[in-house]
Amino acid sequence: MNNTDPIQIKDLNFSYGPVSVLENANLTIGDREFISVVGPNGGGKTTLLKILLGLLDAQSGSVSIFGQTPVRGRKWIGYLPQYANLDSKFPVTALDVVLMGLLGKTRTLGFYRKSDRETALSMLARVGLDKLHNRPLSALSGGQKQRVLIARALVSDPKLLLLDEPSSSLDDYVEQELFDLLQELNKELTIIVVSHDVAYVSKYVEKVVCVNRAVHTHPVAEIDDNIIHDMYGEHVHAVRHDQEHGHG
Amino acid sequence: MGEFFQALFQHTFLQHALLAGLLVSISCGIVGTYVVTRRITYLAGGIAHCVLGGMGFARYMQVVHDWNWLTPMLGAMFAALLAAFIIGWVNIKAKERIDTVISAFWGLGMAIGILFIAKTPGYGEDLMAYLFGNILLVTQGELLAICGLDLFIAATALLFHKQFVAVCFDEEFARLRGINTQFFYFLMLALTALTVVLMVSIVGIVMVIVMLTLPAAIAGRFCLRMGSMMALAAGLCAALTFGGLAISYSPNLPAGATIIVLSGTAYLISLLFKPR
Repeated sequence: MNNTDPIQIKDLNFSYGPVSVLENANLTIGDREFISVVGPNGGGKTTLLKILLGLLDAQSGSVSIFGQTPVRGRKWIGYLPQYANLDSKFPVTALDVVLMGLLGKTRTLGFYRKSDRETALSMLARVGLDKLHNRPLSALSGGQKQRVLIARALVSDPKLLLLDEPSSSLDDYVEQELFDLLQELNKELTIIVVSHDVAYVSKYVEKVVCVNRAVHTHPVAEIDDNIIHDMYGEHVHAVRHDQEHGHG
Repeated sequence: MGEFFQALFQHTFLQHALLAGLLVSISCGIVGTYVVTRRITYLAGGIAHCVLGGMGFARYMQVVHDWNWLTPMLGAMFAALLAAFIIGWVNIKAKERIDTVISAFWGLGMAIGILFIAKTPGYGEDLMAYLFGNILLVTQGELLAICGLDLFIAATALLFHKQFVAVCFDEEFARLRGINTQFFYFLMLALTALTVVLMVSIVGIVMVIVMLTLPAAIAGRFCLRMGSMMALAAGLCAALTFGGLAISYSPNLPAGATIIVLSGTAYLISLLFKPR
């Protein structure tokens, strides 16, 4: 453990007014780890994410991103928001969206440079969408939209990729393609995936961080029905959908 | 229609009117696209109605206290920018419901305007011109002012196009990439306020939102990118203003209202076509 770990959280507390959301959270994520953040809705996943991105300030405790404050460290984070929050009819092409990832790196005044367009195109190629760069976002499938947003997150050359519920609107097959891509990217990047689906992600990630006011980290080997039971309560059974799906 | 073209060659007031309409269309296309994609139509409506307060105050000071420099257009500009700033600030800082805040300013601005106009000697013909526009009374001075504002709006939009697109599409992401999104939000509101002032002279306070949103809404159905949407919206706005002016001339109809009816009809017709 050293202080340039991608993420280091110590004794973090956060509350909205009287409502405590995160209590005494401790979390360390090392270089090139592939971890998943899971937990019930309202358990504090989104709050934790916003604290990591410097969009919310914790009441107490410390958060460091590569040894910096979140606001300074977020230039190394590639972020993929929940697609549901975006306007699917917005008049932009796939390339336009990816270019947005270069804001802050490119010049301030005027249009994007030619080299910016080339960088963005190569990133679209990396997620397998270079032939669709002129397609409007609204004409892409759910899986393709997620890839465009991943390319946007990657184009700024981040060291840490943060994905908020990337598979919530995808069917199983596309979800698997997405995780295969993430696994490939994990060779160079630290990846954190927020998910409500413990069982599915556990075959890809090394560690699972359970957030339900408290924050606990489990190596994947430890994940069993008892932990899922503790996390979600007895009304939810393990959401283990077809684990064998698509294995070749 | 033929009579209109004949008159167009003879009368400077008609040439001025047409020129004003075409110039305003540029801002209308650009800012209308922001307003439609960022969904701040109601905010633009609130700013437009606050303009009456500024115009009423300016006219009152001109007539009663001989402040001749304070033209209604200057008063409108001041009121619009002030309203945009306050509504934007309350929205960000106070976490109030934005539509409630806008409603408050919408009514307050109008009421202040009406009070001043009531206390201004005269027959109240000003009020009608402010509310419903009078494109045929555009003066050479106003034409110059429109030109200047137009240039400012177009230049700002061009210089910061990528930031505006990003802020309209995904403000949170833009902020994470180091863009000062609050600054661009306020800049966008300021451009909206200035465009509203320009359009008040053409179609009047009550109908500004229609002209600001419908051309952009029609364009948005067929355009794939922000830039082309702005260009098509500006073209549509120019065509609708020209058409409305031409149609209204012979039967002596109010030009502003004719432009609006034409725009509304065009929008309804566009709904019949399959969008992109």
